[in-house]
Amino acid sequence: MYEELLEDIAQTNGLREVNTYLKLATGLGAILLCLLSRSFVAPLYIAAVLTIAILFLARVDPKTYGELFIIPLWFGIMSVVAIILVSGGGEVYWSWNPASWFSLSVTSVSISEGFFIFCRVIGGMSALMFIALTTPMTDLFVVMKQCRIPEAVIDLAMMIYRSIFILMNQLVQTYQAQVMRLGYGSFRESIRSFAILCGSVFIASWEAGEDFIRAMDARCYSGKFVVLGENRPIEAVPALALAAFLITSSLVVVISGSTTLL
Amino acid sequence: MHVMEGFLPLQWAVFWWVVALPCLGYGVYQLKKVLEADREALPLLGVVGGFIFILSSLKLPSVTGSCSHPTGTGLSAVCFGPWITSVVCAIVLLFQSLFLAHGGLSTLGANLVSMGIVGPLIGWGIYRLLRNTKVNMYLTVFLAVALADIFTYVTTSLELALAYPAEVGGFVSSLVLFLGIFALTQVPLAVIEGIILTLVFKYIVALKPDILVRLNVFPEEKIRAAQSEA
Repeated sequence: MYEELLEDIAQTNGLREVNTYLKLATGLGAILLCLLSRSFVAPLYIAAVLTIAILFLARVDPKTYGELFIIPLWFGIMSVVAIILVSGGGEVYWSWNPASWFSLSVTSVSISEGFFIFCRVIGGMSALMFIALTTPMTDLFVVMKQCRIPEAVIDLAMMIYRSIFILMNQLVQTYQAQVMRLGYGSFRESIRSFAILCGSVFIASWEAGEDFIRAMDARCYSGKFVVLGENRPIEAVPALALAAFLITSSLVVVISGSTTLL
Repeated sequence: MHVMEGFLPLQWAVFWWVVALPCLGYGVYQLKKVLEADREALPLLGVVGGFIFILSSLKLPSVTGSCSHPTGTGLSAVCFGPWITSVVCAIVLLFQSLFLAHGGLSTLGANLVSMGIVGPLIGWGIYRLLRNTKVNMYLTVFLAVALADIFTYVTTSLELALAYPAEVGGFVSSLVLFLGIFALTQVPLAVIEGIILTLVFKYIVALKPDILVRLNVFPEEKIRAAQSEA
């Protein structure tokens, strides 16, 4: 029904105490290197290193981590198949030309291209997961503030963040009550129940918003939030690990050049 | 479904960021204006953002057996206008990529253009066109929501086709293929999302119409009349 929030894992992960900028540099650096790479080797290398870091340093449950890949990979496979069909070049294995302007084919170059994009998605996803699983949003608000993101946006982001957890609770309770009363028995019934669920959560969230205003007014809310955040110091070991990761990954990007699968 | 991390080549990821940023800037400007005028707006926008997030983390019941996520942006565009929706959407997309591993950071620009800018603009446009006509209020909401959903996926197809044009027929035949995969399979889901959010709207009209009156979504007499029917 609803999916597990990575935030819960991030709050308790093994790399929680590492400086936020180091973790962000790891993830964002890995994303950039994946996009710069012209070969499938570097994204796979990055995915392997980050997966090891996520499983052993951040101590994330391997099953949870694996399940996170299912939905994006489904979208990925569909899109990669489309790319293999439309692109061409090299040896032709299969082709279909229903019209002069439309042709589908599977060739050696298109398979290599599709495989390369697929690897880049895996590399990029693992970099994204690294940030998601090791850095709680509360730490990112501090970084956003230091990066001079407009205050209105940060305030709104914090309000949304807060309300997600309130609404999630409400939603789970209502949903369970509906399931208990066979609210999702038939398709027609489930459309009705789902609409009632969304409607009641919307009204509940509106009332939660009004309660917020009253509660904040009672505490002399002046229209601005204060973010109290301290960043942990940059320590030698994580900094060296980051440097080693970025240097070796860059080397792999350069050395692998434009190696292709076929 | 959003374009996920690593799917777009670097130049296209940057290109969509460049397209998205001015719209986002204008949204932030509008947001600041609204917050200065009405200090109560912030918590309300916050819960709406939370609502969009929750809605898009739910799996929609679907006929085809596959699952899809409602975008929820149509309703927000109708209530708050497209530009503020784009800021809320940017935050929601960031949270989705970091909380649920949906979408990505380099592709956030592209996702923002499809889900946060084009979809809401289309939905809002339809709503503005029909708002003061005799067209039924629920039909208006249904059309705005369903078309916002469909055009989100049409834009996604466009983004993918631009990044990966076909060898024969180039951009156009690539677009046909991606539209076939994403936009066509999305049509029944968009209809279901339209039905569901219209029912949500009806539920709000019946139980808490003052929200809609305050946001001036529809003329007050129309809402009151609908409430006495509901």
